Amino acid sequence: MDTLLSGQLLFAALVSGSLYALVALGLNLVYGTLRLLNIAHGDLVMIGAYTAFWMISLFAIPPILSLFIAAALCALLGWAVYAGLFRRMLAKPELAKRVEANSLILFYGISVILQNLAALAFTSTSRGYQYLDTVITWQGISMTGNRLLSLGVAASVCFGALLFLRFHLFGWGLRAVIQRREAAQVVGVNLNRVQLLTICGGFAVAGVAGVLVSMTEQITPFMGFPFTIVAFVVIIIGGLGNIGAGVLAGFCLGLVETYGIALTSPGYRSILIYGLFVGVLLVRPEGIFTKAVRS
Amino acid sequence: MILGLALAVFGVAVPFIGSPYMMGVVFQVAMWIALAQSWSMLSATTGYLSLGHAVFYGIGAYVCVLLTGTLPFELALLAAAGSAGLFAALVGMPVLRVRGPYFVILTYGLSELVRHVVMRIESALGSFGRMIFDVPSTEVLLWWMVGLAVLATLGAYAIRHSRFGAGLAAIREDEVAAETVGVPVTRLKLLAFIASAIIPGAVGGLALLRTSYFEPAQAFDPVISFTIVTMALVGGTETVRGPILGAVGFALLSELLWSSLPQLYMIVLGLTLIGFILFVPKGLSGLLGRIGRAA
Repeated sequence: MDTLLSGQLLFAALVSGSLYALVALGLNLVYGTLRLLNIAHGDLVMIGAYTAFWMISLFAIPPILSLFIAAALCALLGWAVYAGLFRRMLAKPELAKRVEANSLILFYGISVILQNLAALAFTSTSRGYQYLDTVITWQGISMTGNRLLSLGVAASVCFGALLFLRFHLFGWGLRAVIQRREAAQVVGVNLNRVQLLTICGGFAVAGVAGVLVSMTEQITPFMGFPFTIVAFVVIIIGGLGNIGAGVLAGFCLGLVETYGIALTSPGYRSILIYGLFVGVLLVRPEGIFTKAVRS
Repeated sequence: MILGLALAVFGVAVPFIGSPYMMGVVFQVAMWIALAQSWSMLSATTGYLSLGHAVFYGIGAYVCVLLTGTLPFELALLAAAGSAGLFAALVGMPVLRVRGPYFVILTYGLSELVRHVVMRIESALGSFGRMIFDVPSTEVLLWWMVGLAVLATLGAYAIRHSRFGAGLAAIREDEVAAETVGVPVTRLKLLAFIASAIIPGAVGGLALLRTSYFEPAQAFDPVISFTIVTMALVGGTETVRGPILGAVGFALLSELLWSSLPQLYMIVLGLTLIGFILFVPKGLSGLLGRIGRAA
């Protein structure tokens, strides 16, 4: 019981919760505005992680700077996907329909390509580096600097994004596109611009998450997929396209996971995550589905 | 029709004329045809894309490994097929209430959940992979697999050309409208789901007998689900020959590339998938049809 009430466990839950919220944020933004289920989202986390690794090992650039490099790199990828795919889709409505219906399979293709390109380029050897890994003890809670940094960055990006959506004019436009795409266009939201910037932003956030992950975990070409799954769990709990609830759900999942494992054993982690995933989808399919129909 | 017949005859005859390597290839091709055809019984007819067919394959393998030794292998295979069908019947009702992209990710999540539960059970039992002995000869297994491929193809054909198939097509076009005019939507979907699960169960059992080694992470490998979908989509979902073309094409590609350059194979797989979704919606089957008409 003592361990359950300790700040140590709460800290661990917050660190992973903030990371889940961050990864899910990007996925949710892209789904909300573009109606695409990006199953390659976790692979962007992988790209961010490799960026951080190579920057620190080749050029001694610390991860805190790599955050920006990874964000830029993933944003560029977002732009490439948008330019390569959506320019065509705008020209052909029939193609657009097909892509939306098959977006999951389509992005699976992209995911497979990214993973295996990474495996070809960097080999499947798992990699890692040390950064800010000295232990700081505060109020009886031991934490490493990198986890503290991860929590700080992830939480500030999440809440920054929420504030932006709440108070900035562009954020209003973005929310309008999520809620009613056609109506938003009628009142003068530049759909094209919103979609392009959202996909770049959503991808960039995933890159940032990757840099944060790389500070504490092993980096492999196939590390991304579990993050995709976690992000799906989070946004399904929070509601697809519902950005604020998604961030909250991310923290909740971190809490449930950390405490669930503390009560049982680490072997149950995957069962817990997938159980939640299946459970939520089964129990509230209508509730979750209504949002998608409205598009 | 002629293509299928020629393939089946070749499959049956190959032990007499071909090398062991050839038999291995034919076994693989027949396996993927059986799986892709079974998948099409649900997903091509109703449009409910299952991304979790590995679960039926895995259940079949698991049941088979538990029963061989106590039962003759024919009965073990029957039990494997039956258990997969039973599982589909049990989860079908709630799962099939979920539509669109949610159904896709739900089937995936369910498959992963079962995989992790089986992994947990096996490690709790202290077993890290099970070997089986006294497996039937390669020829016998090959004939069984070819038989399953033929059975699945005939089944898929029969469903498409029956009242049952017409009902399923109505569900694909407009489920609400179908229900309004009196199509027993829920029952038809459930039956299609069960039908598409049975043969993959037997296939899983056979594949297990061939490798004579069971490891839950491999038996429920999500790559199986993805490969089935890829083959069916690339082959074309509108005709019965589509899945055959897709399975043959990919199995040959995999023989060429997998052993030497697995990453390259996966990259080609990803590129093909994207290319076909974007540019060839009717798949290889549609392409052949167009060439046939032009000539």
